[in-house]
Amino acid sequence: MSITSYNGSALIAMVGKDCFAIASDRRLGVNFQTIACDFQRIFKIHDTLYIGLSGLATDVQTMHQRLQFRHKLYQLREERNMRPETFASLVSAILYEKRFGPYFCEPIIAGLNEDGTPFICTTDLIGAKQLSKDFVVSGTASESLYGACESMYKPDLGPDELFEVISQALLSSVDRDCISGWGGIVHVV
Amino acid sequence: MLDFSALEPPTLHSLPSSVEPHLFAAPSFQLPAVADLDGFQKAAVQMVKPAKGTTTLAFVFKHGVIVAADSRASMGNYISSQSVKKILEINPYLLGTMAGGAADCQFWQRNLGTRCRLHELANKRRISVTGASKLLANTLYSYRGMGLSMGTMIAGWDETGPGLYYVDSEGGRVKGTRFSVGSGSTYAYGVLDTGFNWDMSIDEAVELARRAIYHATFRDGASGGVVSVYYVGPAGWKKMSGDDVGELHYSYYPVQEAPAEAEMGEA
Repeated sequence: MSITSYNGSALIAMVGKDCFAIASDRRLGVNFQTIACDFQRIFKIHDTLYIGLSGLATDVQTMHQRLQFRHKLYQLREERNMRPETFASLVSAILYEKRFGPYFCEPIIAGLNEDGTPFICTTDLIGAKQLSKDFVVSGTASESLYGACESMYKPDLGPDELFEVISQALLSSVDRDCISGWGGIVHVV
Repeated sequence: MLDFSALEPPTLHSLPSSVEPHLFAAPSFQLPAVADLDGFQKAAVQMVKPAKGTTTLAFVFKHGVIVAADSRASMGNYISSQSVKKILEINPYLLGTMAGGAADCQFWQRNLGTRCRLHELANKRRISVTGASKLLANTLYSYRGMGLSMGTMIAGWDETGPGLYYVDSEGGRVKGTRFSVGSGSTYAYGVLDTGFNWDMSIDEAVELARRAIYHATFRDGASGGVVSVYYVGPAGWKKMSGDDVGELHYSYYPVQEAPAEAEMGEA
């Protein structure tokens, strides 16, 4: 099996009205065998910035540790939190450092700008940023997720409706994928 | 094709082969007219190989045979269906399970059903489980190496009591009292072997089979969907239950109310 589908994952981030939601599945597997149903893929960087990492589980954890380290240093030096766009550039740079031996993970970054407008973006495994106005997806079920989001998404949803839409999109997509699922977690900010 | 005419049981009324000859002969298939037949066959075998993503089990106990299976069909990582019938009803007292290539299992088990019925008509008595499984095994042996993929269990009740055989596309045929086939079989064996008791009641046996398949669907990504459990007794088979594994999960492991980490406040 391909290295990015060794552990299995599914991630979505969506934009609403002055809010965003980021959701992931919770399964950790080794090929077809399920190992755990409480694996964390979404990490909080600060109160209004979250990163979700899909792909190889060990790289998910390592990337999170490296990014948390860099953000803490930033907080000490600049005495403030990082803006989402800046953080996205940081993620992109860290991934490109490993251009010829990459981390096998594809992050999605979701945050609120200082003026309250939501920001989401995704990058590929070597750091190509892709901004989006509506939703971004990542993981082994990504084709299914794109279809579900495309049909279920509406702009300017409130937090409650956004929660419903993102959950249903995630659940219906992972139901068609053998290696992701077994629970879901949604963060709405 | 090997010639097994000598093994046909002697019948009182041997019908002339001019009458409906195609019913008696095994189906014959045209070979593809390609330059490199061996290479083509190798590629064909490789194409079907990844299949066997399933969990099926069958066991004999005091009151008869239990047969159970999941219902997921997967093509690589994609779930192509959650509602596949993997327990095939060959006739009212014989069941076959499906693992491996779906088309192979469906076709050859229907073919087996036809030949069992012909046996009944020719001999005025039902075929035994031993005989039925041998018919299938011999057919599969003659196609050995051509890329058929089947790991099937033939379960039934005949004059000697309950019977269970495992037959596969490599030509193997084994009699036994407990089998599990498929990618999730190891997980099912764990639950089945621990909980097995020859003197179980029918309900206990059905519950054990259901639990074993459920656990296999939990651990194995290629198994899932609906657990079907059948019971085969002196009067033939009966479908006992069909439960969605998602619902079974919450009935076996009810959700404990966890204290909320963060309440969603009003915006």
